[in-house]
Amino acid sequence: MVAGMFAGCGTDDEGTTSGTQNPSKESQKTEGGSGTVYLLNFKPESDGPWQDLAATYTEQTGVTVNVMTAADGQYKATLQSELAKSEAPTIFNIGATADCAEYADYIYDLKDSDIYNHLTDKSLALEYDGKIAAVANCYECYGIIYNKTILEKYCQMDGAKASSIEEINNFETLNAVATDINSRIDEVNEACGSSLTEAFASAGLDSGSNWRFSGHLAGIALYYDFKDAGCDLTAGQETVTGKYMDNFKNVWDMYVNTSAADKKTLDSGSLNAEQELGLGEAVFYQNGDWEFSAFAPDNENGYTVTTDDLDMMPIYFGVDDENQGLAVGTENHWAVNAKASQEDIDATLDFLSWVISSDEGRDAIVNKMGLSAPFDTFTGDYESKNGFAAKANEYAAAGKTSVAWSFNATPAVDDWRADFIAPLTEYTERDGSWDDVKTAFVDNWAKYWKQQNEQ
Amino acid sequence: MEKAIKRYFPLFALPTMIAFAIGFIVPFLYGIFLSFCKFTTVVDWKWKGLENYTKIFVIDGKLDTSFLHSIWYTALFTVVSMIVINVVAFAIGMALTKGIRGTNLFRTVFFLPNLIGGIVLSYIWLMIFNAILQNFSKTIVTSQWTAFWGMVIVVCWQQIGYMMIIYVAGIQNIPGELIEAAKIDGANSWQLLKSVTLPMLMPTITICSFLTLTNGFKLFDQNLALTGGNPGKMSQLLALNIYDTMYGTTGWQGVGQAKAVIFFILVAFIAIAQNKLTTSKEVQG
Repeated sequence: MVAGMFAGCGTDDEGTTSGTQNPSKESQKTEGGSGTVYLLNFKPESDGPWQDLAATYTEQTGVTVNVMTAADGQYKATLQSELAKSEAPTIFNIGATADCAEYADYIYDLKDSDIYNHLTDKSLALEYDGKIAAVANCYECYGIIYNKTILEKYCQMDGAKASSIEEINNFETLNAVATDINSRIDEVNEACGSSLTEAFASAGLDSGSNWRFSGHLAGIALYYDFKDAGCDLTAGQETVTGKYMDNFKNVWDMYVNTSAADKKTLDSGSLNAEQELGLGEAVFYQNGDWEFSAFAPDNENGYTVTTDDLDMMPIYFGVDDENQGLAVGTENHWAVNAKASQEDIDATLDFLSWVISSDEGRDAIVNKMGLSAPFDTFTGDYESKNGFAAKANEYAAAGKTSVAWSFNATPAVDDWRADFIAPLTEYTERDGSWDDVKTAFVDNWAKYWKQQNEQ
Repeated sequence: MEKAIKRYFPLFALPTMIAFAIGFIVPFLYGIFLSFCKFTTVVDWKWKGLENYTKIFVIDGKLDTSFLHSIWYTALFTVVSMIVINVVAFAIGMALTKGIRGTNLFRTVFFLPNLIGGIVLSYIWLMIFNAILQNFSKTIVTSQWTAFWGMVIVVCWQQIGYMMIIYVAGIQNIPGELIEAAKIDGANSWQLLKSVTLPMLMPTITICSFLTLTNGFKLFDQNLALTGGNPGKMSQLLALNIYDTMYGTTGWQGVGQAKAVIFFILVAFIAIAQNKLTTSKEVQG
């Protein structure tokens, strides 16, 4: 009886699968044979486009492509339970080199794959254990998003600390401008016709926002640290010196002191920095190019400030400001499951190759998902439509060095960040000591690095 | 007839036993096994012996107190919430069996919070707390104690109504003759409560204290949504601490599993002890 019930379920499942996903009359076109593809998607916001893309591919080739998307923040848990199944994902996301060790047994060497061959900047692939472990499928940039409409008007004011936006090209000037705007906000509002309440948007220390600082801002300090050490900028090394933590402090103090948010309650979770910029209350906001679509002219957020008003500048750190560009990198890499059958691996590589070369694939990635793709097949119509990403290229073309995403090297990333945010919150909200922040930055790095790499 | 039932008992019990084995016993034993292994996914493990268990307390030769902190923090939380919930629920239960007007309405109102899920409830309370604390330049995660009392309030608010319903049922089950007899004997209301109502309610108290005790130890949703373990993991209850080790610390799935085994033993031991203690006080009505 029970056996019958279970068997019943089984048949039913197979019935639906073959019903929806094996429809093609053109299955002769399939080159790879009978393999199936299973993509465990990392970005919840791009679930729709991936589902459509999978359906299109199945229609054209007869190859089954399953796409599943993990809930926000649940990728690791989902991936680990999915990988344990017999029908495991054939494509999954690896965030950084630090994650490679954990999935060492599941990493397929991508050195001969189309996606690696078409990768324009080979440093965007992750190497591990002599293999090309994963290949970036998009690249992103972050910096300080600013309201250029207001900032331009400010620069015309009497006593402005900069006479044009171009002059704001180092930390001292940026700090002076932000402090000045914040200290005479009413005067600025009158002169610029704006409704500002602060210079910098709130620096929330709650979990929804603190990664901007424990990840992205700390990433700049790590970048210079690794640069001094001469190690791989995104793979890092076992220790950090914390030499640039004073620069971190300066930037952090600027964020906190030129903002209207009460610095004693930054971790309340009720602040919305994006909205402060969008409603014209703030001039500066540290974040990345993924914010671009939120400020589209027809955005649904009700933001009056749109991409026409916005631009991005590097997070000037007071180290090498004249040569520093935006921070360019990614946490999105495709890895192929080495434990899948060879048939499935072949089908998977064919599918990925199709995604980056076909019109449907490229259209989905650029237009529907809004990503900047790092492959040489994305030319002409398929170049990124993201204004901030374009700005990163502009800085690079002007001879500035893009800052690598050094925070990708962070060992036990969630723990390290949590242990860093705690003293930072203590420092900011309750006059804690800055030394504790620096100690957490340096000591925990070594501690977690060791912990992560022991076998 | 009875014989027939006895004879076919294994057959009737079989489907449930199989489901129980598949859904509980096998994963449970496999989980214990995994606590001695290093693993990324559950199918691919390496035997490590007791290493995971030592890592819980000693890292790099240094004592790590984060799990111990979680244990006593959770124990304190459980004791406080258990006492508050049971005392208040009992008091409301008493008040709502006196036949005052609107009793049914009040019962419904007190029960309602229990119908809202823990995550949603906690997010709502998070907004309430922070809006109030903002005036004092504080947030719910300013210290582990603001977080502690925040969680106590939310959990009480959620569970008092539920326990109240159980107490109401228990109180209504006390035979009227007993109370009447006690009154005729000249018992005042304090004596009535101490010598009649409470002893007669012991089975209910056993159930309610058992439920609140285990709920307190296993609390997860409210902890995650209200404080997220902040500030700096200081308000992590046991369940969240285990979850955090499992999915937060790279390569430490085995350690998380070992913590879960300890957690199980702890909860099982305390629950059995509590049950013994309160059951022994029950009287036959």
